[in-house]
Amino acid sequence: MIFAGLGFAQLAAIFGIAGAAVVGLYVLRLRRRTVAIPFSPLWQRILKDKDATTLFSRLKRLLSLLLQLALLALLVFALGDPRAAATLVKGRTLVVLVDASASMQATDVSPNRLEVAKNEVKAMIRGLGGADRMLIAQMDAMVTPLGPMSGDTSELERALDQVKATDARADFPRALRFATDTLRNVELGEIVVVSDGNLGPALDASGPVHLGDDKLSFVSVGKGKRNVGITQFSVRRYPLDKSRYEVMLEVTNTGPEQQDIELSLLGDGNVVDLTKLRLMPGERLPRFYPNLSGASRTLEAKLANVDGTHDELPADDHAYALLPERRRAKVLVVTEGNTYLEAALLLDEYLEVTQVTPLDYVNKHASGSGFDVVVFDRVTPATPPRAHALYLDPRGPGSPVKVDAELTAPGFDKIDRKHPIVRFTALDDVNVAHGHKLVPDVAAGDKIVGAFGGTSPILVSGSRGAYKFVALGFDVRDSDLPLRVAWPLFLLNTVNFFTDEDARYISSFRTGDVWRVPVSTQATEATLSLPGGGTERVPVHEGRAVYLGERAGFYELTAGDTAATPEQPAPISGANKTAFAANLLDAEESTIAPVPELVVDGKTAGKVEGFHVGVRREIWIYLLLAAVLLTALEWATYHRRITV
Amino acid sequence: MGLLESLRNSFSRRSDAGGSRGDEDLFDDDFQRKLDYLAIVSRRVFAGRMRAERRTKKTGSGVEFADHREYQPGDDFRYLDWNVYQRFDKLLLRLFEEEEDLAIYFIVDASGSMAFGTGEKLRYAKRICAALAYVGLANLDRVCIVSTSDRVMMRMAETRGKARIFKVFRFLRELESAGTTDLGDALKTFVAQHKRRGLAVLISDLYDPQGFERGINVLRYNKFDPFVVHVVDKTEEKPKLFGDVLLYDCETGDEREVTVTPKVLARFREEYEKYIHDIDRFCATRQVPYVRADVSVPFDELILRVFRRGGFLR
Repeated sequence: MIFAGLGFAQLAAIFGIAGAAVVGLYVLRLRRRTVAIPFSPLWQRILKDKDATTLFSRLKRLLSLLLQLALLALLVFALGDPRAAATLVKGRTLVVLVDASASMQATDVSPNRLEVAKNEVKAMIRGLGGADRMLIAQMDAMVTPLGPMSGDTSELERALDQVKATDARADFPRALRFATDTLRNVELGEIVVVSDGNLGPALDASGPVHLGDDKLSFVSVGKGKRNVGITQFSVRRYPLDKSRYEVMLEVTNTGPEQQDIELSLLGDGNVVDLTKLRLMPGERLPRFYPNLSGASRTLEAKLANVDGTHDELPADDHAYALLPERRRAKVLVVTEGNTYLEAALLLDEYLEVTQVTPLDYVNKHASGSGFDVVVFDRVTPATPPRAHALYLDPRGPGSPVKVDAELTAPGFDKIDRKHPIVRFTALDDVNVAHGHKLVPDVAAGDKIVGAFGGTSPILVSGSRGAYKFVALGFDVRDSDLPLRVAWPLFLLNTVNFFTDEDARYISSFRTGDVWRVPVSTQATEATLSLPGGGTERVPVHEGRAVYLGERAGFYELTAGDTAATPEQPAPISGANKTAFAANLLDAEESTIAPVPELVVDGKTAGKVEGFHVGVRREIWIYLLLAAVLLTALEWATYHRRITV
Repeated sequence: MGLLESLRNSFSRRSDAGGSRGDEDLFDDDFQRKLDYLAIVSRRVFAGRMRAERRTKKTGSGVEFADHREYQPGDDFRYLDWNVYQRFDKLLLRLFEEEEDLAIYFIVDASGSMAFGTGEKLRYAKRICAALAYVGLANLDRVCIVSTSDRVMMRMAETRGKARIFKVFRFLRELESAGTTDLGDALKTFVAQHKRRGLAVLISDLYDPQGFERGINVLRYNKFDPFVVHVVDKTEEKPKLFGDVLLYDCETGDEREVTVTPKVLARFREEYEKYIHDIDRFCATRQVPYVRADVSVPFDELILRVFRRGGFLR
């Protein structure tokens, strides 16, 4: 027997003091209430019989005192928290990993898998042995311990209540490494995984996870398999008509049965398309929605079963995307006259074009400020403008790149096709009468986009200071480029390159990843508005707000110059706002068929054993129960005048 | 025992033992009106037997023949019954009953137990004594009142005439309860002090540790005509006791620890009834008029019961 609470000496001292007090109170209890009577001989006749039982009465009083002392002894003994030595030694140390990934939101079991998992863990908590210790951790994109290692059931239940489902997939290897680290050098360590089992292999960049001597147990949750989810979702505006857009979407049936579904597409909250689809078991169905209009900002995709029912995982039935914001770009064209240039810039209604002569430019717009883009057509100012600039056949000392030898009949022999300014263009067979070799400043980060013969760059992009530039080494009039579709595309791509308006598919952030959202201010902290409401402060490192996103939906990041607090967010005016969307889009996570067996490090996880619900192997509980029983006995006998 | 408990107990003892109320209102106008009514009623009840004089056992110069006795030298010849001498040749003297006023003694028990509880027993005893004394005074009898405990404590000299009732009131008002009960010793003193025999009305709760019989027997053996008015309080039969208590005799100071249970209370009630029954039987077998005066019964109703019971007046 070992006392896990107070020591024997302390218990003896407490019993001595309290026992003396009890005896004192007991003696005081014998002082009786004095009552006057008129004629005592009448009572004496009755009490003659009582005298015969005096000894028995004393014995009863002694019994009452002994009962009180026994009660006290039980309570004092309980204070010592006595335990069998064997129990203390054999106490287990458990790390319970509760899967809170998206698939645990499946409703194939009532109310959902996560709640069932929590009930399983609750049963384990209530069945903990007296010497057992447990730590509860939430396992999703990361692993979060929700409390200290403890044997206190109420503390563990409070920790369990904090487990909340996320829209991310579980990082199983990370959770296992956390558990093994926690159990390092612990005897009888046990890892309990409570999950539907869709966790992937226990393998990450550091290699496979080794469990060592730790026992692995697995509690499987869930039984359903039927699910259809959105596994891809992205959108782009058309380069030449940015009021229209194109959506790419993929739907996957991860269940074993054929599914008829209804796919809705909502633009700014209004339905813009409704499609009925039939998916075979395991089928992945990519869908393109070309030439859509009717949305300027938000785009959502929703799935529903045709028969009106819901599938068993609602988390992947909804996807979100944000269309890139459109604004009018102010373009200054400095030219003596170039019909091809003017015509091409007229194609985009979102361009606000101002055309000036080189003389007017020198007189009125020398700085170039106030414009997003300045196009210099066969003109090269002495000083670069305070704006992004496109130089067509630059010359002289004001050129951003050095202009070298003249080239005869150059062409685009080499093209950096990934560069955004040449996207969708075919420049290989452009005929040029003559041009000049451009010499990029490699140290400044200039990039050769097009080159003639491999050694003579004729199309260069780069930046000078805070502004980008693109230089074309020939006059377009000396080529057939203005007669090609590539010409307006090149111009619009360049403007978009300068104004950051991209014609690529816009993908959302993936939940479960660490997001690094660019922030253009110098703030060290930003406010993130979450999809479910509420805000959160996120740190900004090297111009990017860093946040581990675990919820699908629309986010808005505000990085104001004013320091803000959660109670008082940064003011909207003057704040720098960035909106973005986040989605699960994970076919593996959408596969909700529960896995009955978990294999890690070559070992199959066993069943959870040794938990007996409602039974605590702690002796003090029984001592307390005995004390309560004795109290009830004493109460009953006292009121029935047995022990008085 | 805590200080508070001690104070509570001592207060409890005082209040239980000496809780008598003031006696200023004991004989108020209403009471006196009742006395007049009772005096009239008593005449009607004993009509024809009350003529302001009583026949006594004494023989002497009365007109009513009582008995004969043998002539003794020195006797008055005028009382020789010559008819008897002629028939039996014996000299016998005719005896006549003397007519005289009756001596009524009221013996009021003023021991500690009479003031037990609210003190109602002593007040009730005083009112009974006053009422009976008034009837006696109204009938021109000699009335004497003594208070006793373990001895004769106070004595009101013999008096007669209705107007002396106020003297009676004054005397009774001054009575206070004290001491233990010992009717035997007290009444021995009483009979020694009062040579003239008569009616002795004992008004008491009869809580005599030496036995209630002793006092009554003293009166009987000394040729007094005892009349017992037993003052009882029903609350004493059903005391409100429960649990562990220390019983304290307000007269003797005896203490006794007891745990009162319903069973104990039931046995006490049995014992109390037995005690009352013993008194009743004792008086009945010895032809001592006995009346039980319950303090909860209206006073005038009790007095009428005394008259009806008879024996108080002859």
